[in-house]
Amino acid sequence: MLGKLSWSAIPLDQPIPLIASLVVVVALLAVLAWITIKGHWPYLWSEWITSVDHKRIGVMYCLLALIMLVRGFIDALMMRSQQAIAYGSQGYLPPEHFNQIFSAHGTIMIFLVAMPFVIGLMNFAVPLQLGVRDVAFPTFNSVSLWLTASAALLINMSLFIGEFAQTGWLVYPPLSELKFSPGVGVDYYLWAIQISGIGTLLTGINFVTTILKVRAPGMTLTRMPIFCWTALASSLLIVAAFPILTATLGMLLLDRYLGFHFFTVEAGGNPMMYINLIWAWGHPEVYILILPAFGVFSEVVSTFSGKPLFGYRSMIVATMAICVLSFFVWLHHFFTMGAGANVNGFFGVATMIIAVPTGVKIFNWLFTMWGGRIRFNTPLLWTIAFMVTFTIGGMTGVLLAIPPVDFVLHNSLFLVAHFHNVLIGGLLFGCFAGYNYWFPKAFGFKLDEKWGQAAFWFWVIGFYVAFMPLYVLGLEGMTRRMQSYDVAGWQPWLIVAAGGAALILCGILCQVGQLFVSIRNRAALRDHTGDPWDGRTLEWITASPPPVYNFAVLPNVTGEEAYWGLKQTALKRQRLSDLPAYEAIELPRNSPTGFVVAFFAVVTGFAFIWHIWWMVLVGLLGAFAVFVVFAWRDRSEYELRPEAVARIDHERRQARIAMVEGREPGIAVVGPADDTAQDPNQLSQWPGAHEEFKGPASKRIISAYGFWIFLLSDFVMFSGFYAAYAVLSHATAGGPGPKDLFDLTTVALETAFLLLSSFACGMATIASNVRNMLWTQVSYLITGLLGAAFLYLEVNEFARLLADGNGPDRSAFLSSFFALVGLHGLHVTVGLLWLGTMMAQVWTKGFRPDIMRRGLSFALFWHALDIIWVGIFTNVYLLGTSP
Amino acid sequence: MSDHDHHTDTAPGEQENGHQDVASAVRNYLVGLVLAAALTAGSFWVASGPSALYTPGVPMALAALAIGQMGVHLAFFLHITTGPDNTNNVLALAFGVLIVGIVIAGSLWIMYHLNTNMMVPGNLMDVHTQPGL
Repeated sequence: MLGKLSWSAIPLDQPIPLIASLVVVVALLAVLAWITIKGHWPYLWSEWITSVDHKRIGVMYCLLALIMLVRGFIDALMMRSQQAIAYGSQGYLPPEHFNQIFSAHGTIMIFLVAMPFVIGLMNFAVPLQLGVRDVAFPTFNSVSLWLTASAALLINMSLFIGEFAQTGWLVYPPLSELKFSPGVGVDYYLWAIQISGIGTLLTGINFVTTILKVRAPGMTLTRMPIFCWTALASSLLIVAAFPILTATLGMLLLDRYLGFHFFTVEAGGNPMMYINLIWAWGHPEVYILILPAFGVFSEVVSTFSGKPLFGYRSMIVATMAICVLSFFVWLHHFFTMGAGANVNGFFGVATMIIAVPTGVKIFNWLFTMWGGRIRFNTPLLWTIAFMVTFTIGGMTGVLLAIPPVDFVLHNSLFLVAHFHNVLIGGLLFGCFAGYNYWFPKAFGFKLDEKWGQAAFWFWVIGFYVAFMPLYVLGLEGMTRRMQSYDVAGWQPWLIVAAGGAALILCGILCQVGQLFVSIRNRAALRDHTGDPWDGRTLEWITASPPPVYNFAVLPNVTGEEAYWGLKQTALKRQRLSDLPAYEAIELPRNSPTGFVVAFFAVVTGFAFIWHIWWMVLVGLLGAFAVFVVFAWRDRSEYELRPEAVARIDHERRQARIAMVEGREPGIAVVGPADDTAQDPNQLSQWPGAHEEFKGPASKRIISAYGFWIFLLSDFVMFSGFYAAYAVLSHATAGGPGPKDLFDLTTVALETAFLLLSSFACGMATIASNVRNMLWTQVSYLITGLLGAAFLYLEVNEFARLLADGNGPDRSAFLSSFFALVGLHGLHVTVGLLWLGTMMAQVWTKGFRPDIMRRGLSFALFWHALDIIWVGIFTNVYLLGTSP
Repeated sequence: MSDHDHHTDTAPGEQENGHQDVASAVRNYLVGLVLAAALTAGSFWVASGPSALYTPGVPMALAALAIGQMGVHLAFFLHITTGPDNTNNVLALAFGVLIVGIVIAGSLWIMYHLNTNMMVPGNLMDVHTQPGL
């Protein structure tokens, strides 16, 4: 009934996790009780939990990141204190607990701190900077958030129920295989990361579509603020890299749950394939994190220097260069694991090349400050600390990129120091800069400067004290993840590092204090104008906090630094632009979809982890039902009347008038008074610069484009399985090979069914375009029947193989075959479910625009499955059986 | 089509304006179906190892036929064209293809190296048979 779950899952014999989890549970219950007593649930439910407003979602992401930062930091404190005392002794953490701590620390810091923080900032700022009202898919945005939160819940649950992985944050096999990690720790990791991975992928698709298709009129690509560019690059990387992670972890799950042999040490499995694939995701991942931070620094440095960003064009080129190059370097994570000179040389040089666009950026930031009127507010302080710290981290990175050097330093504390140097000094400082920078926009009051600067100094000094010793220790030969050691010379350095961690603790306490003090003094810190920093991009034109629709009228963008131009003109004329003609605004309705789906995701994940199969079914059916209900809803938007918009906007205009008439201190005309003066940096002569962007695309284009991006990510996921098949297809472990197993007649028949099905789907598309119900339904029916016939043949083939003892547990070759072909079959199955729901919808609701949009996406999906099948029948069946 | 209103881009999967009427739209799918079927048949014929073919060339021929067929599906079923209104869709596709290529080719190159350099007798690779374990 409850699978592997029993009372022994609760760590009654281990006081540290037990007490920790009890404290967390009590705290959580206290918070919930307080909310209940105060009667805040209706407010929380309708204003936050079901909100699809990108600003609210952004705030919740950042909140999640901050809470998880505390959890991850407690792990860090425990590791530092353990290592400070564990010279020649066992310290206070037994090895199996220490191993869980470093695994949880890495997992939480990357997936539940860094990712939510940057995604939160992107969510909050990108639509505002683009001058639009929301992201392309608001409800999916909420789904993303809650799936990420589910992962956080699952990982933290492992503290109390069961255990966490003891394998490091990337769960390398063979250690993470069932044979060597029989507990539930690795399963907690795998399911949590898979769930959050889906959320992240949806975010990536959402933001690629938003940035490319939903922008204010006149906001051409080369007028977008750099933060939007970096968000675009980061989202493209998410779309391209996260499917590889999903594929890789999926293979490990198959190994652990169904006895496959992708990465085992028997039956031809190859653990190195895991390390290869996971880093093909892992290296782009670090750029997913750092690029938006670069974007924040670009905004901050230009705002607080009172100058346009130096080298805007080169910034774009550098960002996109990093975006592409980041896919050519992944092997540098395993230089020492057997690649030859050519491979190591190629990836080493590619790694060093990445330093070039990064260097370009550093110089651009420096030149932006050069000659500027610099204001040393907290966001700028973080930026300056970043430039110094990140340069050091980058240099040690270039050192590690030299393969011979890496052979000395691989997996040493030098490496640990390096990546903390770039992750804390780059990413985290960026997030803190962004947090201080956009906080007044989000809440309408600034954060306290004094506490902010105290936090800054503790963090920066603490960082250096904590991590510089690790460079020394790495050079002295100390490897990472040591629970205890016998080298006396290491201990002093480790004690210093522990002191650094204590300083960082003071920094975090100051941040908590800053938040507390700022909320208490919010009246004095109030931002009246909506432009507290004398900003340059469109988010500062609207009120703080922005109204739910962001902009009463979409701004008309005529150049770079859209808001700066408008503001300067207004200041010169001492007059605001004329009162616009307000129109009704359509806004997405709140939806509990995200929250409920996440609930079922937690149920499913938990059930899988503990092998409670009936609960798995409940969870999956529940999630499917939620999507059907969501697809069935009749009203997805509500309308805000023009009078209401005018009333809300009136207030903002009053504050603005005070500002342009010079009654707001700190904001004044800058630069030449001539309206037509051209900044040499402006891009009016760029090709395509005259091509006006006409504003957000139609819903049909947005939804189809988003789905197109999803399909590309799906191709990438398949490429992971293709690659695994290509590598493992010869690993038959003495068992039968392709020639002995495959029957080409079946394959030919399958192919024919799929092709004809695709054709029928095309007919359905045509019939629905001309609103012919009968032909639409008949064509869809034929599509479905042919798809079902395909599936029937495939299931038969699988059944025959299994009956002959040639199942996936026979050899690595068969594992990769079943996974690749089965994944395609799973897609067909999902397609059939989708088709059935859609036919029912068309039947009951007719050719409604939203159903038609879904029909277009379905057609794309169904035709794309053919393309994947062509790859499969060629590579697997034909190539395998040809002479 | 009806949704084109003021925008210069086409939604991926949307048939071109030239195929407004049903007959020409159907014809377009039919051409795609015939081409795809012909290429599939070609692939199966090549794989059956006819004596007319130079055997070592078979994988190359199969690859060419497969890529050709993928192109046919893209053009005739997914309606991805070279038109200016499709640039965004093609660029996204190109990015996807680049990543797919990198993942597959990179993995093969790397894993070939690792397999060659780390070649050890099978029983040594299996940690269960190692002494002391």
